[in-house]
Amino acid sequence: MESAATKNPGPATKARRTMSDTWYSILLIAPAMVIILFFALVPLFYAIDVSFRQADLTMGGIQGFVGLRNYREVLHEAYFWQSVRTTVVFTFFAIVIEMGLGIFVAFLIHGATVGKGLIRSLVILPLATAPAVTGLFWRYLYDTQFGLYNYFLSVLGLPWQPNWLGDIKLGLWSVIIFDVWLWMPFVALIALAGLQSLPKEPFEAAELDGASSFRVLRTLTFPMLTPVLMLVFILRTIDCLRLYDSVATLTRGGPGSVTETLTYYLYRQGLVFFRMDYASTMALLFMYAVILASGYALRPLLARLAMRAGQR
Amino acid sequence: MNNKLWSVLSLLAVVALLGACAQPAPPAAPPAAAPTTAPAAGGCKDADRVPISWSTIAGFYTDAMTSIVKDFESKNCVKVTIVGIDNAQLYDKQIIEAVGKTGAYDVYNIETAEKAGFAENGYILPMDDYIKANADKVKYDDIAPVLADVTTKYKGKIWGLPYYTYTQGQFFRQDLFDDPTEQAAFKAKYGYDLKPPTTWDQMTNVAEFFTRKKGAMLKGQPLDKDFYGVGLMAGRFQEIQDELSGMILYKGTDWLKDDGSIAVKDEGNLWALKFYVEKLLPYAPPAALTVTYDGVMNQMQDCQIAMTANFFLDQWPNAANTENKCPGSKMGIGVGIEKTTYLGAFLMGVSSSSKHPKEAMDFVAYMAGQEAQTNFARQGGSTTRISVLKDPQFNTPESRPKTAHFAYLLQVFDNMKDKKSNLFYSPYGAKLYNAMGPIYHTAAAKEVTPEQAVQTLYDEFVKICGGEKCTVNK
Repeated sequence: MESAATKNPGPATKARRTMSDTWYSILLIAPAMVIILFFALVPLFYAIDVSFRQADLTMGGIQGFVGLRNYREVLHEAYFWQSVRTTVVFTFFAIVIEMGLGIFVAFLIHGATVGKGLIRSLVILPLATAPAVTGLFWRYLYDTQFGLYNYFLSVLGLPWQPNWLGDIKLGLWSVIIFDVWLWMPFVALIALAGLQSLPKEPFEAAELDGASSFRVLRTLTFPMLTPVLMLVFILRTIDCLRLYDSVATLTRGGPGSVTETLTYYLYRQGLVFFRMDYASTMALLFMYAVILASGYALRPLLARLAMRAGQR
Repeated sequence: MNNKLWSVLSLLAVVALLGACAQPAPPAAPPAAAPTTAPAAGGCKDADRVPISWSTIAGFYTDAMTSIVKDFESKNCVKVTIVGIDNAQLYDKQIIEAVGKTGAYDVYNIETAEKAGFAENGYILPMDDYIKANADKVKYDDIAPVLADVTTKYKGKIWGLPYYTYTQGQFFRQDLFDDPTEQAAFKAKYGYDLKPPTTWDQMTNVAEFFTRKKGAMLKGQPLDKDFYGVGLMAGRFQEIQDELSGMILYKGTDWLKDDGSIAVKDEGNLWALKFYVEKLLPYAPPAALTVTYDGVMNQMQDCQIAMTANFFLDQWPNAANTENKCPGSKMGIGVGIEKTTYLGAFLMGVSSSSKHPKEAMDFVAYMAGQEAQTNFARQGGSTTRISVLKDPQFNTPESRPKTAHFAYLLQVFDNMKDKKSNLFYSPYGAKLYNAMGPIYHTAAAKEVTPEQAVQTLYDEFVKICGGEKCTVNK
C-alpha cells in the first residue's frame, strides 16, 4: 500500500529534487551558523587577537602585537591566582553540597507518597527568579542590622550574630550557602527525573532476590543514574566556575577579596580598568581550562554513549 | 525556487540588514562658539526638536532633575532623554560608548576623578569658547572656585560644568552631645568637654565613648540594641577611599605628589589607613564592612550610631530624616575633622561624539545655571553655585531638612581651597580611584595589614601608570 507521502510529495521532497541533500542541510543550518559565527566565533577570535596585543581602552585603545606578554603578566599576577583558588574552592564545596543534598532530596521526593507535585513545585521556586534578583534579597537576609538570619538566631537565644558578608572567614561560605539554595533544586529535579525514568524490572528482580536497600542503591540505582548525575555534575561545575552574578550582588568580591572569583576579577579588569588585553587573556585561559576539564570529565560519559550506540 | 529556500534566504537577508543598520554614526560637527540665544520653544513642534541624551545616575540625583529638564525643553526646541544608570555601572557604560564613539550619549555625568581621563582621551569637548561667548548665562565665576578647579579644569581648559556636589563634612547626633549625663561621663573619662569632634584624636575618643552594648544606658535610657560610636563606609566600594581622603590630605600628603610620583605608601598615607583600621573601625557597626554611604544613613536613622566620620554633605536630607525615625534625636552638621575632607562634584561634559554639541552645551549650561540650580536646591539637591548656597531662602527653619548643609558647604570650600588632590589632574585618576576602594577594604576586613595594603596599592598604581610616576597635568 502506498503511503500518503509517496502519493503527495510535500515541499521538502520537492526541494530535494532541485538540490543535493548536502546543500539542503547546509542551507537549513546556515541561519544558525551565521548567528553562531557572529556572536560566538567572531568574538572568540577577536579575543584571541586582543590577548596578543596591548589593549587598554582608555589609554590608546587596541594597539600593537606584544607576543606572549599578556599571558606572562597574567600568569605572574597574584590576584589572578588568588581568584583561581577562590573559584576552585567555591566550586568544590558548592558542587559537593549541591550534589549530595540534591540527590538526597530527589530520593525523598521519589519516595513520597502524597504531595509529590506540590513538593516539586516548591523545590523549583528558587530557580524561577534570576540569581541577580535573589542575590539582592539574600544580601538583606544576611544583613547584620536588619537581616532575618541574625534575627532568627537571636530569637533562638543564640549569642552568635555572624557578620555573614563582612567576615573574611564567613564570606565565601555565605556565597556557597546562597548557591546551594539556588541550585540544589536543579540537581534534585534532574536526579528525580532520572530516578523516575529507571526501568522497574531490575528493581523488582532484586526485591525478589532479597537484595538489601543499600545493595540495590550501590549496584542498580547509582550505576543506572550515573549518566544523568554526570551530566548535572558537569553542568553545575561549569556554572560554578563562571560564578559572577551571586558575587556581584552579594559581596562584590569582599569581604577583603575572599569571594573574588575569576570571572568577577575578569570583569574588573575588563570593565572597570578597561584592560581588554588582560581580560581577554584571562578569559581564554579560563576557557582552555574549562574545555580541558569538561572534556576530561565527559570522556567516560561519551565512551558509555558510544558503547551503547555500538551495541545498537 | 521553492518556498523553503526563499524563507532561508529571507532570514539571511534580515541578518545582513541588521548588520548594515549597525553602521557607526558620522563624526560630530564642531560646537559653535557664538553666543547662543535660546529659541522660543513655544512654537516648536515635537518633530522639530533636536534630540539629545544625558547619561546620569539613576535615583535621587536624576529624579530631582527631571522637572528642571522639562523647564529646559519648554525654553528650547530640544528633546532630552535622560538615561538613568546605576552609579556602579555608570563609568563603565559611558567609557564603552565613548571609546566606541557611538554618540549614544550627548552629555556625560562625570566624577571628579574621571574628568582628566575623559578630557585626555578626547571623549568630551572643551567648553571654554562656549563659556566665553555665553558668560552672562553661564556665570562660571559663581561656581565655588575650588570646586570649579578640581571638577572642570584640566590642562588649562574647562571641560564642562558641575551640577551636584558630594563634598564631605560630618553629621552627628547633636542630642547626644547636648545630654548632661553624657557630658559628665565623658568629662570624667577623658578629662575634657564632650563636643562634636574636630580632631582625629577627639574622634576616636568620642567614638569609643558612645560604643555601648545592648542594655547599657544612653541618655539615661537602656539601649534595646548595640550602639556604636561611628558609622563608616568600609565596604568594598570606592567610598572608603573618600573617607580616607580627608585623613591623607590632613597629613599634608596625597596619593600622587605634584611631580606625579606615587605617595600611597608614605608615612601620611599609612597613618591614615592604620588610624582608620585600628582607631575607628572597632567603634563602627559590624555592617561597616559591607556598606557604603546609604548603609551609614540607614544606621543613623535606625538609632545605631552617634556620628559619621567625614561624610558626604549632600546626604543631609537623609541625615535630617533621622529626626523623624529615631525618637529624641536631633542632628548636627560639621565641616569635617581637621577641616579637611573629600571634595568633588558631578560634572556634565559634552561628548565629542555628540551629533548636536551646541544643543548639548546649551543643556549643560542650563542645568548648571543659576535658575536650574536654585530649583534643584529647593528639591534638596546640593548645588555647586555660591549664590545659591548663600541664598537666604535656603537658610530658614523651613528649609532646614533639605538645605541646612549649605552654610557648611561654603565653609568646606573655603577650608579646602589650598588642598586640591593631584589625583583629579591625572588622566589615570579614574583607574587609580577605582583601584583604591577594594585594596583599602582588604585592610579594613583584616585580610591584610595596613602596611601590606599600601604596598599592594603602590604596586597597583605602578601597574596602572606604567611606572613609578603618574602623569599629573594641573
